[in-house]
Amino acid sequence: MSFDLQRILESKRRYRAKLAERPVAEKLRLLDAMRERALTIRNSSQTIVREEPPNYGRKV
Amino acid sequence: MLNQMERDGVTDRYAIGGAVGATFYLEPVDTLDVDVFVAFKPEGKSLLVSPSPIFDYFKKFGCQMEGEYIVLGGWPVQFLPPTGPLVEEALAEAVTRDVEGIQARVFTAEHLAAIALQTGRAKDKARLLQFIEEGALDPERFQQIVTRHALVDRWQQFQRQFLES
Repeated sequence: MSFDLQRILESKRRYRAKLAERPVAEKLRLLDAMRERALTIRNSSQTIVREEPPNYGRKV
Repeated sequence: MLNQMERDGVTDRYAIGGAVGATFYLEPVDTLDVDVFVAFKPEGKSLLVSPSPIFDYFKKFGCQMEGEYIVLGGWPVQFLPPTGPLVEEALAEAVTRDVEGIQARVFTAEHLAAIALQTGRAKDKARLLQFIEEGALDPERFQQIVTRHALVDRWQQFQRQFLES
């Protein structure tokens, strides 16, 4: 068996496209699950569990 | 709750941006919080805007505060004012989407992509690439926004860096 990187990348692209096409509510539920997982992983290694907001074109 | 907040006159208008906004158009985009942009009602003659009315409003419903965040539905939600013309336009032109019978207002894909181009962190660039690769953008509309908000140079640089091979 050999790894065909092109095939792997193409299959990942197809999977992402399929995810993108799912109903919004389903994607938001997936986000919920992803956040839970992320918090579990981050909490096990560090205490900071939030992101800094970006500078949304802040007026200076 | 956001719709109710708007109906109760706490803010003029809200729209979801950031990664959760992007999830309306793309595969689920990993994030830990929700960015909600709001048009704040001016308080008297002050030019400063205060999120206090929003915090006070949600506290009445028993919502917990966590620093700058309000926890709604288990998610830390950050309320942000439009901080420049691009975000102001994104808020004004945000669209309403149905989520299992609940109306949610969200930035358009083109505005989310333009904001990602403007903010320009590595993860913003990755998100912009996702928008392009998924074919989630109306190219003409995106180009108009890029031109209107003086992002043409940045867009050309992005194209050279990521889209030309």
